[in-house]
Amino acid sequence: MKKLILDILLGSLLVFSFTYIVLLIAGAPVLDAFKHIWLGAFASSIKISQVLSVWVPLTLCSCGLLFTFRANLWNIGIEGQVTMGAIGAMAVLRTPVIDNPTLILCLAFLTSMLCGGAWGLFAGLLKTRGGVHEIFGGLGLNFVSQGFILWLIFGPWKRPGIASMSGTELLNRKLWLASLPGWRVATAGIVIAIAILILTWLFLEKSRLGLKLKAIGQNPKAALLYAISPERYYLQSILIAGSCAGIAGFIQTTGVYHRLIPSISSGYGYLALLLVMLSGYKIVLIPILAFFFASLNVGAIQLPIVLQLDSALSGVIQGCCVLCALFILGIRQRRAQP
Amino acid sequence: MRGKFTGMFAVLVAAVALLLSPAQSQASADNFIFGLLMVGPANDHGWSQAHFEAGKEIEKNIPGSKMIYIDKVNPADRPGVTIPFLVDDLVSKGAKLIIGNSDDMTDGIREAAMLHPDIKFIHISGDDALNPDAPENLSNLMGKMEYGQMMAGFAAAMTTQTGKIGYLGPLINDETKRLAVSCFLGARYVWTEVLKKDPATLTFKITWIGFWFNIPGVTSDPTQVAKNFFDSGYDVVISGIDTTEALIVADQKKREGADVTAIPYDYEGACETAPDACLGVPYFNWYPGYSHFINSIKNNNWKKEWLWLGPDWKDMSNTRKSSISFKNGKALSGDVQAKLAVFAKGLGDESISLFTGPLNFQDKSVFLKEGETATEMQIWNMPQLLEGMEGASE
Amino acid sequence: MDVEFQHISKNFGSVKALTDVSLTARSGTIHGLIGENGAGKSTLMKILTGYQSKSSGSILLDGVEVQLNNPGQASEFGIGMLYQEPMDFPPLTVLENFSLGTPHQSRQELHFALKTLSIRFGFDLNPDRPVELLTVGERQQIELLRLIHCSIKVLVLDEPTTGISPAQKEALFPALKQLAADGMTILLVSHKLEEVANLCSEVTVLRHGKLTHHTTAPFHFPKLLTAMFGFVPKRSDRSDTRDTGPPILIFKDIEASGERQGLHRCNLTIAEGEVIGLAGLDGAGQSTFLRLAAGLISPDQGKVILFSDPLPYGAKASIRAQELHTAFIPADRLEESLFARISLRDHFSLREEHGMFWQSRTETRKRAEEAIATFSIKGTPEDLAEDLSGGNQQRLLLSLLNRNSRLILLENPTRGLDIQSGQWIWQHLRDELSPDTTIIFSSPELDEILHYCDRIIVFHDGLIVLDSAVPETSHDAIAAVMTGIRESAP
Repeated sequence: MKKLILDILLGSLLVFSFTYIVLLIAGAPVLDAFKHIWLGAFASSIKISQVLSVWVPLTLCSCGLLFTFRANLWNIGIEGQVTMGAIGAMAVLRTPVIDNPTLILCLAFLTSMLCGGAWGLFAGLLKTRGGVHEIFGGLGLNFVSQGFILWLIFGPWKRPGIASMSGTELLNRKLWLASLPGWRVATAGIVIAIAILILTWLFLEKSRLGLKLKAIGQNPKAALLYAISPERYYLQSILIAGSCAGIAGFIQTTGVYHRLIPSISSGYGYLALLLVMLSGYKIVLIPILAFFFASLNVGAIQLPIVLQLDSALSGVIQGCCVLCALFILGIRQRRAQP
Repeated sequence: MRGKFTGMFAVLVAAVALLLSPAQSQASADNFIFGLLMVGPANDHGWSQAHFEAGKEIEKNIPGSKMIYIDKVNPADRPGVTIPFLVDDLVSKGAKLIIGNSDDMTDGIREAAMLHPDIKFIHISGDDALNPDAPENLSNLMGKMEYGQMMAGFAAAMTTQTGKIGYLGPLINDETKRLAVSCFLGARYVWTEVLKKDPATLTFKITWIGFWFNIPGVTSDPTQVAKNFFDSGYDVVISGIDTTEALIVADQKKREGADVTAIPYDYEGACETAPDACLGVPYFNWYPGYSHFINSIKNNNWKKEWLWLGPDWKDMSNTRKSSISFKNGKALSGDVQAKLAVFAKGLGDESISLFTGPLNFQDKSVFLKEGETATEMQIWNMPQLLEGMEGASE
Repeated sequence: MDVEFQHISKNFGSVKALTDVSLTARSGTIHGLIGENGAGKSTLMKILTGYQSKSSGSILLDGVEVQLNNPGQASEFGIGMLYQEPMDFPPLTVLENFSLGTPHQSRQELHFALKTLSIRFGFDLNPDRPVELLTVGERQQIELLRLIHCSIKVLVLDEPTTGISPAQKEALFPALKQLAADGMTILLVSHKLEEVANLCSEVTVLRHGKLTHHTTAPFHFPKLLTAMFGFVPKRSDRSDTRDTGPPILIFKDIEASGERQGLHRCNLTIAEGEVIGLAGLDGAGQSTFLRLAAGLISPDQGKVILFSDPLPYGAKASIRAQELHTAFIPADRLEESLFARISLRDHFSLREEHGMFWQSRTETRKRAEEAIATFSIKGTPEDLAEDLSGGNQQRLLLSLLNRNSRLILLENPTRGLDIQSGQWIWQHLRDELSPDTTIIFSSPELDEILHYCDRIIVFHDGLIVLDSAVPETSHDAIAAVMTGIRESAP
């Protein structure tokens, strides 16, 4: 217990001194910077709801990544899976055939899952069939999906008479995910994120699938002796991860931007990778850490507005937190070893 | 493990919370705060900087006014940040007026205007205010850059030796098409009226990069596009984008011995980046527009307006009155400068009217019949490039 | 330079790798160090070259005690080692590799030195060729020349003839003899008796970390073999021979890669109910054989026919083999057959063949408890696999075996177990399972093989060199073929 408290103190001290130095170097008033980040994220319900709208896709991506990490897969292609999910959702939303907004949103939701999942599966097949490491396959597919979304926005889905990288035409208001009055976050998004969190927990901890993924992640050689085919479960886990990412894409499209933009994934996939590693692959920590990162992301916009600092500094602060946490983790692991 | 982590996190959050007392400054009553959302960096030597400096000028000249701003408002630079969110934030800091400086912000500003009916909005370059159903608190402001671009086209055509002028276009929309068309008309005027050459010998080519500035991996690289122009015999490149790549490349080529020049865009000081290669710059002065709207708010006579402000022909460089101007660059010869002044005078007294028929569109359909002059709306909603121009219309 | 080891002991935790080993290698001689795998030869050499520290004892060079705490110190004393896998930099050229670690010299000087040495030892090396294009034998030659160029006084060779061609061997041996004649001390680690007899003037045998035999040329092979593998067990210990049924496993013209030598020209038929022991030095092909039968690797050529069903190629083979009731327990339990950080109970859950989607905790817990009782595993259902001792891990693996298994493949089933655990495991295998279950196992202990099996198959360098019913062969004959001695050998 004493050691734990020591760890926490050491960790916090490290984070603060590190960020202090960074801000000092950047010539920023340090305490003011912290204060504004804090206020920028929590000063009002509008701001908190903005934090939540970042929290939703982060949580969704993280849940998906828990599955792949459990099978010891580096699903770096999650960015592309978010993008493909968004594209899938948009494809349905653009179809004028169906009149009922609820129905069309439900269809878009399912399609986004399907598209994200398929994109994940693609990376998985590249690994199991083609022998391409999932990191390289994933990165490659990220580029492909980026190219694809650009082509759509610049080509077939461009605004009439306009060819701009800025995005497709705004969705009909009926197709926007609703939010509570005064809130800036789609209620459905929060419900979905919480549901996925619970499902992820159930699948990973209570189902045989979760156990098998754990076994494969620990020892794929041995898994084969239990008649568990690692390939098959690699594909399943990356399919699930892709589907979760796809849902994040759906929410980004229908709840945040209300259109398709080139950077629809907003880098949340990569951020989620970091976050999940930091959590030590523990699902209880996911929503908390996602909230922390989301508030840092949202709060940091104050740095340029109020202090005229480059908001890239928030990335530096984020990096510091991660480094310090990893450092403490490393110390603890070394201590655990005889 | 789990407990440790949660604990650590809790302490972290608590520490942050304790350190920072929740005190937020409130605007005092007689201050007038306005918020400026810039699509590019505030120091881009182009579009965004022109807005930024106008805002600074307002702060100096309208007592009590204060600008809060944020630049690089675009999804590539600030992923996950939306216009309504930024407006929420600026409003919470006391802003009474929000200026969104990009066509790209149309949807976001429209949404924000609906969410904040008490706050006034100016959207630069849009035309929502022409729509009777649009919210009353949203006005539009734009400068008649068509004149600036005509002068740019004039200067370019007077300078080119090869008869090939390149136009570095941003994305394709009505605005960019009408600006490119104006530029072309200025150049063609030189060819037919000044130099008395066959218009077929003038090459005017547009390459669109896909956005107002370079987004690596997303847009075409403007530096590369400019290089391609110079390498394939174009000796003047006119920039229609917010940043100065064309000028920088021209300067490099000039140092390597090539006789090339460029015309940047948007910002009075744009030539300073590389004065030796700069023919001049057509630029915006947003002060007249901004001050008009701010005064109308202060005097409580705001109304929904669509303002399209042109140059003050008596003195284009008058910062209080003229919204559009052209500043001659070092590379523009004295002879041409004199002819350009005559041309500008002709535009001002309407003795020269370039949007007069016969003009055909790129697809050979008729834009203006013989003797017909385009209306403002015809120019504003330019559907296509013109016959004689190379480049995509959509 | 004389190298003298005095009372060297080395402990890894509670494991004794070396116990009180003393030996002297004299200047100008080639000293052979032999023993089966794990006998402690490599540990002793690592202590000499500074890669490992000794627990007690001392090392004397020319009668002076020295401290060899790291490889740098050892090389300062002029001790160099030629490894089984050459320690070189494949992208660099021959000359560049040659120049590493040598005193600074110009390119011409180096070129000249390489050329002179090559001629002296009869090696044909192109200085500008990248090393990655060379054979293992050629890379070994560069390494050897480099060491000589660094003017080392003590040369340690670790299994130098593994992976090199007969021609290269022909070039290597005279070179070594010449070096010894020039006064160098050479220590040769090997398990190939013929080579040792050919090269060495003195031989020391290690077994289980202890010195069991020391002798000078000429060598008496049976004595060396006994020192290496222990004594011939008495016949009366043996279990009864079983009846055998129809063939269940057929290897047809198998060519496979794996381990050091792979497996070649393998044709074999195994009948139901047989208990077969696979003997051979470590890496001679037994493990490749077992993995082929388990479907974990696929042959390059030929067919594995399991229960009259040719195994498919690739990843499906293992699953198919299990469907055919074949079970495999590899030697490395935590590495290959258990999940270190998964509980015993969950291992049973993983083993379930037709489970529900959700885990059924109570049922698997019950199964785990039953197994713990039946197999006397010291642990609880919630213990992690890594928390069990080796013997208990092996019991857990046995308890996880499908009771309907018709073919059980075991790789070194008593590895790391004490005698009691080992006996318990064999009792279970022979007595608890149905007598028509076929058992194929490998073991480095000849005693174990002779004791428990009916038929023995001996591997050497990827070939089956002996296939015989146990009563028709002898300990000495097996030990001889294991070490590569053909019948014509002395």
